[in-house]
Amino acid sequence: MIVGERKPLSEIREMLKGYKKVLVLGCRTCVAVCMAGGDKEVELLGSQLRIASKKDGDELEIVEDSVERQCDPEYIEPLKEKVEQCDAVLSMACGCGVQFMAERYVDTPVLPAINTNFIGVTESTGVWTERCAQCGNCVLHLTGGICPIARCSKSLLNGPCGGSHDGKCEIDPGVPCGWQLIYDRMAKLGLLEKLEEVIPPKDWTTSRDGGPRKIVREDVKV
Amino acid sequence: MSSKAASGNGDAKSAGKVGAIMVIGGGIGGMQASLDLANAGFKVYLVDKSSSIGGRMAQLDKTFPTNDCSMCTISPKLIEVDKHLNIDLVTYAEVEAIEGDVGNFTVRVRCKAKSVDYSRCTGCGLCQEKCPTKVDSEFEAAIGKRKAIYVPYPQAVPNKPVIDREHCLKFTKGKCGVCAKKCPTGAINYDDTDKVVEFNVGAIILAPGYDTVDARLKPEYGFGRYKNVITSLQYERLLSASGPTQGHIKRPSDGAVPHRIAWIQCVGSRDALCGNEYCSSVCCMYATKEAIMTAEHEKEAKCTIFFNDIRAFGKGFERYYIGAEKESGVRYIRGIVSTVREMQKTKNLLLKYVSDDGEIKEEEFDMVVLSVGLTPSKGTKELAKVAAIELDSHGYAATSTFQPNESSRPGVFVCGAFLAPMDIPETVMTASSAAAASAELVSSERGALAAHKEYPAEREIAEEEPRVGVFVCRCGTNIGRIVDVPKVVEYAKMLPHVKFATESLFTCSTDSTRGIADAIKEHNLNRVVVAACTPATHEPLFQETLREAGLNKFLFEMANIRNQCSWVHEDAALATAKSIDLVRMAVYRALQLEPIRQLESPVTQKALVIGGGLSGMTAALSLARQGFESYLVEKGDKLGGYLNRLHYTLEGDDVPKQVRELVDEVKKEQLIKVFANAEVTEFGGHIGNFHAAIKSNGKTEKIDIGAVIVATGAQEYQPTEYLYSKSPNVLTQLELEERIAKDPATLKNAKTIVMIQCVGSRDEEHVYCSRVCCGQAVKNALKLKELNPAMKIYVLHRDIRTYAAKELAYKKAREKGVLFLRYDTEHKPEVVQTNGKLSVRAQDVSIGAMLDIKPDMVVLSTGIVPHATNPELSSLLKVSLDRDGFYLEAHLKLRPLDFSSDGIFLCGLAHSPKYIEESIAQARGAASRAADVLSKQSLTVGGIVSVVEAEKCVACLTCVRVCPYGVPEFKEEEGVAYIEPAACHGCGICAAVCPNKAIQVRHYKDKQIIAKCEALYETAKT
Repeated sequence: MIVGERKPLSEIREMLKGYKKVLVLGCRTCVAVCMAGGDKEVELLGSQLRIASKKDGDELEIVEDSVERQCDPEYIEPLKEKVEQCDAVLSMACGCGVQFMAERYVDTPVLPAINTNFIGVTESTGVWTERCAQCGNCVLHLTGGICPIARCSKSLLNGPCGGSHDGKCEIDPGVPCGWQLIYDRMAKLGLLEKLEEVIPPKDWTTSRDGGPRKIVREDVKV
Repeated sequence: MSSKAASGNGDAKSAGKVGAIMVIGGGIGGMQASLDLANAGFKVYLVDKSSSIGGRMAQLDKTFPTNDCSMCTISPKLIEVDKHLNIDLVTYAEVEAIEGDVGNFTVRVRCKAKSVDYSRCTGCGLCQEKCPTKVDSEFEAAIGKRKAIYVPYPQAVPNKPVIDREHCLKFTKGKCGVCAKKCPTGAINYDDTDKVVEFNVGAIILAPGYDTVDARLKPEYGFGRYKNVITSLQYERLLSASGPTQGHIKRPSDGAVPHRIAWIQCVGSRDALCGNEYCSSVCCMYATKEAIMTAEHEKEAKCTIFFNDIRAFGKGFERYYIGAEKESGVRYIRGIVSTVREMQKTKNLLLKYVSDDGEIKEEEFDMVVLSVGLTPSKGTKELAKVAAIELDSHGYAATSTFQPNESSRPGVFVCGAFLAPMDIPETVMTASSAAAASAELVSSERGALAAHKEYPAEREIAEEEPRVGVFVCRCGTNIGRIVDVPKVVEYAKMLPHVKFATESLFTCSTDSTRGIADAIKEHNLNRVVVAACTPATHEPLFQETLREAGLNKFLFEMANIRNQCSWVHEDAALATAKSIDLVRMAVYRALQLEPIRQLESPVTQKALVIGGGLSGMTAALSLARQGFESYLVEKGDKLGGYLNRLHYTLEGDDVPKQVRELVDEVKKEQLIKVFANAEVTEFGGHIGNFHAAIKSNGKTEKIDIGAVIVATGAQEYQPTEYLYSKSPNVLTQLELEERIAKDPATLKNAKTIVMIQCVGSRDEEHVYCSRVCCGQAVKNALKLKELNPAMKIYVLHRDIRTYAAKELAYKKAREKGVLFLRYDTEHKPEVVQTNGKLSVRAQDVSIGAMLDIKPDMVVLSTGIVPHATNPELSSLLKVSLDRDGFYLEAHLKLRPLDFSSDGIFLCGLAHSPKYIEESIAQARGAASRAADVLSKQSLTVGGIVSVVEAEKCVACLTCVRVCPYGVPEFKEEEGVAYIEPAACHGCGICAAVCPNKAIQVRHYKDKQIIAKCEALYETAKT
């Protein structure tokens, strides 16, 4: 899922300067699960903003709502009336949701309340970690199911660099060396010899280097 | 056990059996036994000689090894006992005669004159406030005062006073009478007399508890002469926030905060001179706890404990002891103090002791705490005489290994510290066990005397506008003297939807509650607010009134204008304003309250017992004798478990004979279905309604059960050290025991034997004591000495932990010439083999010498390790394991037999290492706990529980992960989380963390809480 984290209140307050009535809009998919932008976070942020504006003596009315997903047109369409009543929308969705709202509601500023961090997993409640860098050309079958692009700080494709110490990455002793993980996993699977095959330089055009990406499925397109 | 069973089930001429049980002694043991029995459908009379129940535990500050507040954990139990429909409290009473026979006793009880009419007394406390006479308080261990008319402590049950006629001026001098003058309800009765009451009961449980040894028996420590020498019980009161110093540690001589505090262990324990040769079992740990708590109270404090052996043998104790030394900086000095002298000017104390290296030392301390031992409580001898039961030489109840709860008189059971010195969880276990033993006797009469209450049908209020009634209490003068009660009432009348408001002197009195019921009917009220004291004690009472008046009990709200207002504020105007705020908040919440219909969930009245060892068999048999079917699942091909490897006990029991009898009895018992070579492969459901699959010999059977007992045992540690399995002459204690029993001739000629303790215990991998190995070594050493008195036996140990009466065997072994030498972890013994000959090099720390022993045999006292199946089975049952890998109970102190998942119980070695008698008591106790569930046709479920709003659930699984009871589950078909109301505890953690607000706790919904908060910030319209 997409993992995000709410921006600090001060930054949000700065963004909202000058607006009198703001719709705080949650998203009930990825960001709800990673506890950044679901119904509960909407209520919390709403309350924080009300308290802060009261404390600072400025006028700010907060309207709260959430939709199933801000990245699907059908879900955001019914918000029309609410959005039109407000000076701005503070979206608690990921970057996609914010943009999609902005595309739909061109006359109203749509602002981001969260930072979209990565595509990751829930390791345990309250702990999320990155797993996929969306390179667009998966190599997990070659690397024991551990991604060298996302898990190696340098995205190396053929083994670790000299910064691998005691299984940790030189950028931070708390970060495991991605290639150490790959090596250990391959050893466990009895597939170490596979690592001797050199992975050729990657074609990054499927990744961000090829510009904004698009998928069109003719078979399902309506 | 088998012989007693006959009286339980066999001679079924049950005519004349009585479905009531008397429990004598209202400490934690007596309370637990009473609750178990009353919940299982028996009538209980709980008799206590003092004016309130609670016993010793109520006096303690914190409890080891979790540092839980003692009062906070016992208080809910006190209330539960107090409110129980089927427990009659008979306090301030003593048993005078027990006549009749098992199943049908007549007990004559003298109820001493309380001089207070409890039917009138509301417990307002005015009498004791005004009483001019101050006496040393027993509850405060004589370091605090009480009045001549008194309730021993604020949370006491019953919370009503008695007059101590020995000190009351009215009785000693014929004057005063102020309490009668001040009592607002006329409850004082100076003409009250003792009454002798007869009770007819089927069984009796004796739980008289313990007293501490009189510290004056050790005059060299100066207790009674030196002010700053106090007992450990007094120190508990000093630490307690509700004690005479409000929890500030002050020394008696000058009230200064002591920084150097010494504890002296074994005061009146392990000491023939004062008559107590046994070990008191609990002092090492309570001293450790007191030292840890002291370090928490006073950062400057330096705590020193002088001891003989540290006996940290219970569950979690070893870690606690290590933590005390490493984290709390407690200094442990091995060496007993010979004298304490007071320094004249400073009143400091000079302690003389012999240190571990043999040097005589003196050290100055600001205060000394004597860790006084335990003795049977005063009056136990007389009680034993009245009950016609035998005592052992130290005055404890005479019982046996395999009948650990049974006194010498059939139908009279014993529990707690009357059996031997023991801590709280063991008291609770033995109490539940005594309850099971009693229930076994009179199971045919279950429900015969239990009261059931019928209520009128509940009024449907869904269509009604809210109509609120507000009842403001004066609580005598408790509230009334600070808060302007009429003003609060007038204010309440102006609040929206309030149709009726009034005040009363005591809203909880019978008259007043009748008044509430009448008002509900007269004004057609559908919400009730009582502004009085705390819901913790009084909510059930008022909810009962609502039910009697035909209203759902959840349409009730309390405002605490006493504990949270009048008791803590002095400014009348401000306190009144606060009361008004509290009442407004309560009314606004009341407007949001909804009736909650609770459901009856049927109970499958059968149990699953996992493990066919001693504990499993004992539990299944007890259930059978109580009339319940069970499935007994044994992993191996024969029953008996670990017990099959034991041959005799320290007490001289013939173990194989006992096992045979037990197995025969299980096999004969029609209510037990045994599955051998079996395992549980599927498990699900909730309390009263579990289902499981048992795979046995290739076949799988599906079963439905209402309760589960985990009795899967443990395993012997397989040593890799000390040449085990490399030399034929290195054995484990169990292997030695087998040879002693089966092939003693091969041992007779052995000249020297070395035993090494703590093999696989108290090390980095096993941070716990295996509890039984010291006793096991002493037992086998004594047997070897019997075989050949000339044999030289060395026991290399770290501490000898022969607690309670096992200390006597340790002493006997020393008298027989067994040498006990102490090693420490830096100098572990070394075992080498050259040319087939063993030699052991060991340092004896106490003499500092290096020994080179050439033994014929080395015997390893191997520890007990968790069973290999624990990780898998625990995840199947969704129950927890502790850090060491044993099963983890719901609460280390008060719920040692329950898992936190309701309806699942544990016992025996699965819980932690223990002796035979302890496993039996625990197993029977677990059967008692399970019987509480199985004795019911149905369980009332779904009151204050969490409910998932399926449409809002994003299936993030957060609730599944955070629930401490493992209740929420993900429903694949619906794609949402589900919370089973029968299993939910209503703690609300899931509701708090749900990222999409899909979960609400009934009765504590957001709107109900927010209404209260918003009402707080609304200005009072006065």
